[in-house]
Amino acid sequence: MSVPDTEVELLEQSPSMARLVARALATGAGRPGAAGDLPTRRVVRTGVGVDVAELADYARVCGMTLRNEVPATYLHVLTFPLQVHLMAAADFPFAMAGMVHVGNEMTLHRPVDLGERLTLSTHADSLRPHRRGLTVDLVGSAQAGDETVWQGRSTYLVRGAPAEGVVVEPEDDLVDVVDLPWRAQWRLPASLGRRYAAVAGDVNPIHLSPLAAKAFGFPRAIAHGMWTHARVLAALEGRLPARHTVRVQFRKPVLLPSTVELRAGRAETGWDFAVTGRDGAREHLLGTVREPDQTG
Amino acid sequence: MTSIPRTAVIVGGNRIPFGKAGGAYAAASNQDMLTAALDGLVARFGLSGQRLGEVAAGAVLKHSRDFNLTREAVLGSALDPHTPAYDLQQACGTGLETVIQVSNKITLGQIDSGVAGGVDSASDAPIAVSEGLRKALIKAGAARTTAQRLKALGAIRPGDLTPETPRNAEARTGLSMGEHQARTAKEWGITREAQDELAAASHHRLAAAWDAGFFDDLATPFLRLTRDQGLRPDTSVEKLAKLSPVFGKGEGATLTAGNSTPLSDGAALVLLAEQEWARARNLPVLARIVDAEVAAVDYVGGGEGLLMAPAYAVPRLLARQGLSLQDFDLYEIHEAFASTVLATLAAWESPEFTRDRLGLEAPLGAVDRARLNVHGSSLAAGHPFAATGGRIVAGLAKMLSEKGPGSRGLVSICAAGGQGVVAILEAV
Repeated sequence: MSVPDTEVELLEQSPSMARLVARALATGAGRPGAAGDLPTRRVVRTGVGVDVAELADYARVCGMTLRNEVPATYLHVLTFPLQVHLMAAADFPFAMAGMVHVGNEMTLHRPVDLGERLTLSTHADSLRPHRRGLTVDLVGSAQAGDETVWQGRSTYLVRGAPAEGVVVEPEDDLVDVVDLPWRAQWRLPASLGRRYAAVAGDVNPIHLSPLAAKAFGFPRAIAHGMWTHARVLAALEGRLPARHTVRVQFRKPVLLPSTVELRAGRAETGWDFAVTGRDGAREHLLGTVREPDQTG
Repeated sequence: MTSIPRTAVIVGGNRIPFGKAGGAYAAASNQDMLTAALDGLVARFGLSGQRLGEVAAGAVLKHSRDFNLTREAVLGSALDPHTPAYDLQQACGTGLETVIQVSNKITLGQIDSGVAGGVDSASDAPIAVSEGLRKALIKAGAARTTAQRLKALGAIRPGDLTPETPRNAEARTGLSMGEHQARTAKEWGITREAQDELAAASHHRLAAAWDAGFFDDLATPFLRLTRDQGLRPDTSVEKLAKLSPVFGKGEGATLTAGNSTPLSDGAALVLLAEQEWARARNLPVLARIVDAEVAAVDYVGGGEGLLMAPAYAVPRLLARQGLSLQDFDLYEIHEAFASTVLATLAAWESPEFTRDRLGLEAPLGAVDRARLNVHGSSLAAGHPFAATGGRIVAGLAKMLSEKGPGSRGLVSICAAGGQGVVAILEAV
C-alpha cells in the first residue's frame, strides 16, 4: 500500500459535494478513459473532526446507536468528498457519472473516538481489467497523529469493452448466500436515497429520484450501496470485533422502495453476511467482517 | 432447596455525565445514552459477553416506539444478548425502584446479578399529535374506501395540527411540579436564603468531588462531555440571590432557576449481585441493600404537598428496621428543589407533622447537615428523571464503602404523582 510521496493536494475545507457532482457530470464527456493515466497525487485534509449532530443524523438513518466510537463506515463518509474531489478533477481519466461502486473494503485498526482530530487522505490506484470494463480503486486512510487508524478501498467499475485479448475471470463471491441464516427484514422507503444523501453527502442523482435514475438507465432510484453496508454493520452492533476488516461486494442495485433481507452467519472471528431480495435469490450485497490480519 | 441467606449488594455503578437540555446530548436518544452507560458498566466490570440475571431500567419521557427501551439497549450493548430486560417507570423514583426490584429478585434467589437504573432526555422528548388529529388518523387508517378516508381526514381542524409537547405538570391538578413545590415551600416557611445556601453547597460539593476524582470509577465520558454540564463551581449564595423567582407568584415567591433542578439529559446504572456471586468473581462488594419503602400522598384531595411522600416513607422504614433517623452516617435526599429537601427535614423535626400526619408521638428529629448530600446532588448534577436513582445509589454505596463496614446510608427520592421511594444501604 505504499504510495510514492510525490504529490499532495491539501484541501483547506471539505469540498462542496453538490458543486463537485455537477462539475463531474458536466465534464464527463471528452475524458480519455482507459487511454488516460490515473492522477498520482494524494488529496489530503488535516484536522478533521466529527460533528456530533451530523454523526447522530447519520446513525439514525443507518439504524446505528450513537456512540463515542466513530463507525468505520462513517470514516468512509468523511473521506468520500476527497474521493469525489479527485474524480471530478480535470485530470481524472473517467467520467464519474458512469462509474459503479462494485466493492469496498475497510479496516478499522482501533476504535476511533469522536473527539479525535484526523488526517484524511485519498488517492487512486490499481487500474485493472474487469470482464465488463475496468476497475479503479480509490484508496483512503484516516490517521490520528502518526497512527493509521482506518484504511479504506472503494472499487469502482468503469463500464466498457475489456481490453482486447484479456480474459478476466469473474471475481469469486465472498460468501455463499444459501449458507447464511435469515436475520432481518428491512422495508426501505422511496425517500431513503434522499435521506442518506442528506447525512452522507453522496448526492449522485441515481439515488435521489426515479426520474434522475431513469436517465442513467435504472428503472427507479437506487439505495446507496454504502447505506446498505452501514445498515448491515448496525444490525451486527455489539457483536463486531472492536478492530475489524470488512469487505463487501455490491451486486444488483437495491431499487427504492423495496423490502430486502439480511442473512448473516457467524464466522471464526466475525460474520459472513448478505443482503438479498425477499426470496433470497436476488443478491444485493455480499460481505465478510473479520478481525484484521496482524500483518495488515 | 437452600437455606443460606442471600444478600443483594451493590458492586458499582456507571453513569454518563449529565447534560443540560439542548446541550451536549441534544442529538442523543434515550437508547443511545442508556447503551453508553451500559457499555461503560460492562467495560468497568469485565462483563462483555456475559449473561446477567436481568437489566431493569426506565425513562420518564419516553417515545412510544421505545416500549422496549432497556431490552433494545441490551441488544446494542456488549452484554450477552441472552440477558433479559424490562422497562419500569415510577417518575423520578424509577431508578431507585429498579434497584429495589433487582435487589429483591437477588435476595429471593431468582437471579444472581442484575443491572438497575434509568435514563431520560429532555432534549429528545416525545411530541404527540393533538387528540383531534390522532383520532382522525386512526379513523382514516381503518377506513375501507377512499371516500371514508377523505371524510375522516376532513374532520381535522387547523387547531388539531398543534403538537402537544410533554409538560412537567400533574394531570389532576394542572400545576407544574415547581408550582406545587412553591406552595409546599410557603407552607413550611422555607426561606429563599436557606434554599440558595443549599443550592450553592450542592454545586461546591459536586465540583470538589469531580476535582478529587470521586467519579473516576462512577462515570464514563459521552459525546465529549466529561463533567456534568450544569455544574457551576463558581456559583455563590450572592449570585443565586440575584435570580428572579420562576415558580409561585408575587410576594414570598422563593423558587428560582438556581434552587430548582434544571431539565437534563443523562443515564445512570448500578450493578447489583448476590454477595457470594460477586466475591467468587472478584468483583467489588460496596454495600448491601438493607430495606426499602415506597409511600404515596394524597396531594389531590388530601392537602399534602406533591413531593412530601418521602417524609412518610422514611418513618415507616425506620420503624420496620428499628432505627432512628440519627442512626445514619450519610443521607442522600434528592434535590428536586432545594425547598423539597428543606421541607422534608422540617417535617421530620415538626411535632405537629409527626403527631397529626404521621401519627407518631415524637418527631424524628434533625439530620446532621454535614452528612447530607456530601458530594452534592441534583441541583448541581442535573436531574434526568429516571437516572437520578442510579446516580445516588452508586455514589452512596461507594462513600459508605470508603467509610468502612457497617456504615449506613439513607436514600430518599420524591417523585411526581405524590410518591416517595426510600432505601437503606449498609457498607459490607
